[in-house]
Amino acid sequence: MSLMKCCFDTPEVSDIFESMVQKCTDPGCCCGCCSALRPRYKRFVDNIFPINPQDGLVKLNMEKLTFYSLSSPEKLDRIGEYLFQKAARDIYRRRYGFVIIAMEAMDQLLVACHAQTLNLFVESFLKMVQKLLESTEPQLQILATQSFVRFANIEEDTPSYHRRYDFFVSKFSAMCHSNEYGEARDKIRLAGIRGLQAVVRKTVSDDLVENIWEPVHMDKIVPSLLYNMQDSAFYLKESYNTDIAPEDQIDSPLLAETCMRELVGRASFGHIRAVLKPVLRHFDLHKLWVPNQFAIHIFRVIMLSIQAQYSYTVVETLMAHLDENSKSSPTIRTSIADVLSKIIAIAAGESVGPSVLEIINSLLSHLRDSVRHGINQKDEKQYQEALINALGEFANHLPDYQKIEIMMFIMSKIPFPLVDNNTPADNLLQSILLKSLLKVGTKYQTIHLNSTFPVSFLEPLLRMSLAPDPDMRLLVQKILHTLIDRHSNLEQLIKPTVNSAALALTLETSSRPDLIFINKHGAMIYDALYTSLQMNTNTIENIEAIYTTLALLCVELASAETIIDLLQLVLGIQNLALTSADLPTPQKFNLHAIVASLFVLISTIANITPLSEYASKIVKARKKEAPHLLPDLLSIYPPKAELANKLPHLVIDQMAVCEYLKSSGFDSTRLMQTSPYGAGRLGVTSGTHRHSWVETGARGSIIEIPATQEVDSASSSPGVQKKLPEEELTFESMKRVLTEPPEIRKEAEAEKREQLSHIFHTATFEELKCRTQPKHDLLQNKLNEIFKSLSTSEVHQSPLQLDKKHSVPVYEQNFPELFLY
Amino acid sequence: MEDFKFLFKVVLVGNAGVGKTCLVRRFTQGLFPPGQGATIGVDFMIKTVEVDNEKVKLQIWDTAGQERFRSITQSYYRSAHALILVYDISCQPTFDCLPDWLREIEEYASSKVLRILVGNKIDREDREIPTFVGEDFAARHNMYFLETSAKEAENVEKLFMKIAEDLMQQARNKDLSRYECSTTNITARTSSVNDSSCCSKLT
Ligand SMILES: Nc1nc2c(ncn2[C@@H]2O[C@H](COP(=O)(O)OP(=O)(O)OP(=O)(O)O)[C@@H](O)[C@H]2O)c(=O)[nH]1
Ligand SMILES: [Mg+2]
Repeated sequence: MSLMKCCFDTPEVSDIFESMVQKCTDPGCCCGCCSALRPRYKRFVDNIFPINPQDGLVKLNMEKLTFYSLSSPEKLDRIGEYLFQKAARDIYRRRYGFVIIAMEAMDQLLVACHAQTLNLFVESFLKMVQKLLESTEPQLQILATQSFVRFANIEEDTPSYHRRYDFFVSKFSAMCHSNEYGEARDKIRLAGIRGLQAVVRKTVSDDLVENIWEPVHMDKIVPSLLYNMQDSAFYLKESYNTDIAPEDQIDSPLLAETCMRELVGRASFGHIRAVLKPVLRHFDLHKLWVPNQFAIHIFRVIMLSIQAQYSYTVVETLMAHLDENSKSSPTIRTSIADVLSKIIAIAAGESVGPSVLEIINSLLSHLRDSVRHGINQKDEKQYQEALINALGEFANHLPDYQKIEIMMFIMSKIPFPLVDNNTPADNLLQSILLKSLLKVGTKYQTIHLNSTFPVSFLEPLLRMSLAPDPDMRLLVQKILHTLIDRHSNLEQLIKPTVNSAALALTLETSSRPDLIFINKHGAMIYDALYTSLQMNTNTIENIEAIYTTLALLCVELASAETIIDLLQLVLGIQNLALTSADLPTPQKFNLHAIVASLFVLISTIANITPLSEYASKIVKARKKEAPHLLPDLLSIYPPKAELANKLPHLVIDQMAVCEYLKSSGFDSTRLMQTSPYGAGRLGVTSGTHRHSWVETGARGSIIEIPATQEVDSASSSPGVQKKLPEEELTFESMKRVLTEPPEIRKEAEAEKREQLSHIFHTATFEELKCRTQPKHDLLQNKLNEIFKSLSTSEVHQSPLQLDKKHSVPVYEQNFPELFLY
Repeated sequence: MEDFKFLFKVVLVGNAGVGKTCLVRRFTQGLFPPGQGATIGVDFMIKTVEVDNEKVKLQIWDTAGQERFRSITQSYYRSAHALILVYDISCQPTFDCLPDWLREIEEYASSKVLRILVGNKIDREDREIPTFVGEDFAARHNMYFLETSAKEAENVEKLFMKIAEDLMQQARNKDLSRYECSTTNITARTSSVNDSSCCSKLT
């Protein structure tokens, strides 16, 4: 304490002085003359003030004060206190010029003095800042903020744990909402943001000083920043560059965004929710979801600044917010889901394992809820679309193996059974899940078909391709398209055409794993496609889509094996068109048209000249006599259009096909045998109305065939000569086991089949899985075993090679790579 | 001058347009602002009053009534020593919203907060809420009650003085909510400043 203080420290004397102060209003009037009586530090302080405040800080004297403070650091806190008292009085008297000088002096001292001596000085300094902030004068508030920012940049040795920043957060937040008139408004708002930024910087590293992440602070800071960003249109310009804006031209939206990035970037896992919660509330209260550009912008900012490992939390929180908004209008939900879809990709890269499925599961349950609540509302549909988009976006950024996982996961959520008497909600959910599947599928790039279509995925997918609802069947075909098409041929094969030479198709030799795949599952796939062509509820779109699937398979799996199989199927379809009692006439014509298209396509791709010639002969003849048996597919045909049965010369003849194949070095024996598709020969009315591939699956009995018999059937299968024992277990033979149950069994099984068919149509997916699983496993094991034995055998020969031994097929010239095993 | 002994935080809440800002400005600046615009977020004012010869500093946080600012305004409830809940006696809906406001206060403010119900604009002819209705409501919810007019400066001073007195009483009794920002020590220093600036007259 000062000397004076010791002498006069009695209340009475103070009172006397108090009254004198009133008379003596000008500090300059008496200070000069009595300097000798005052403590040195006070003289140093007094001397920095000019007589006229406009003259500003007396620089020379300020240097003296600084030097004095450095040499007598123990006096620093008293200097601070004295400066504060002077300023407080000047504020009271509205002599702002002096206040500004006092603040400037304090700033300089703060910067000049050593950290360890600052502690008490800082208290006065902050009191001064607060005092200035409390004034109604914008100029002082701005000045105080600048000083505070300067303070925040100083490293303090010993943080004072008793210090609280509550007032500063409260006041700076209030300033962020300033409603002053004119220019002052923007300046105060900008100062408010700067102040908040400084508080955050000052406190963020040390929770003991002040836990800035407490909701009481975040609930002020976050809305204040957002409020300053939302009114500006700058966020609409994506390319806004934060780096080039010079310091003095920075505007509040931009600064607020910078501050927001900093805040989010510093948030550790435990703090993220404290930031996100006020963000979400702010969007709710300020109705910023619709339209959602600003929300998208902010959430992108958050996602891009948050520590990557936590980005998943943002997605999760937004998803939870969607939950909370389940009663809100669909437009709001659509907007939120849309925001989700815009940011979810950023999270995808960081999501691992269970969190991926959690997110997917969440999205799916939102879909399910939406389906349950509003079936026919347009807005609700948009919401569903937005969710599906989010799903697609998310999947898009996951590694491929996770995409398959997701597809299987989605599949597992599709309600079964697929029967006509489903509730509309079930149907909608099914088709929505299929749409989701399609979305994910489009993002997936198939490399090997076998990894894209694990049995547990393929099976239910094919099952759904036989759903009663034509739209659903169409979706399944589209899923197949996107997954099968690896060479971007989809566009060209979308419509049937007999002019396939004109198509610029990208072909690549099918790989060994592909061949294994199609040998393993071809029968199941073909059967499903064939069966779905029997549905009399098919639209042209359905039929075209099935054509596309077949054409894609044809392009993707061009090999001697598949060509025979496909031809067999094509002939089967033709037979269906000729013999079906169920199908309406236009559909029959449609079938003939796709048969022609596929026939041309197959012969072109396989490059079997005689077959191509035969195909073009038929096409030419049809063009002349029966254009209704060619594309384009119509739903109504001219009344005089004649049934193909009456035009046998326009029908593809199985015998002829076999001949041409044989003459080109193909083994067409299989084509001669009883087709799995009804009856194989022209004109023979088989009458067997096949139900669905599930029956084929139910031909489980074939698996009961003892292994020896299997080998037998293989060895007895014609066409392959000079076989080694290993080679006898060709895929072909396996396939035959699958597709051609001995004729004798057929009848006995017919009844059983009927039963099974019923079960498969009505049982739930789970039940079905139980029923079929063991058998499939058996089959699977068998196949695995065989494949193993194949791969371990010295000679890695594909059946194609065997063919090659006998005659050089024409297509070898076109697919030389095929023989590069 | 920084010689107050107590610092109290007072927060004003209530529907938009009931006159919160006018009340604060009447009290702190002694005027009735013409064409007062709606408050955005939160406003801040300060006023030092004297109670029993002690200086009491009132930090007044004037919140926006508009719904969209609710999240930021609520964050100011927590540290309040006193909450002034204002309605407009000529506007029934502002009275009808009081239960909602109480719920918010219950949720966000400290349980010890001093609560005052204020019916403002009593200068208006078109009263819709009779005094006893307001009184009754306040009594049922354990609040002080006062009717004011920011326009005619009716009861405004009294409102804030009452709050200051009450809070000081509370602080003295329970020694709670006491702010030691300015201890006797600082007061002494303040007088020493006075000493020095006028010492010449003594000699
Ligand atoms: N007649 C009369 N009018 C008043 C009185 N107090 C305020 N008003 C008027 O009421 C309107 C709103 O006053 P404000 O003080 O802005 O209301 P507020 O509660 O702060 O509103 P928000 O800031 O939007 O929450 C203004 O037009 C004032 O002139 C009063 O005591 N009597
Ligand atoms: Mg207001």
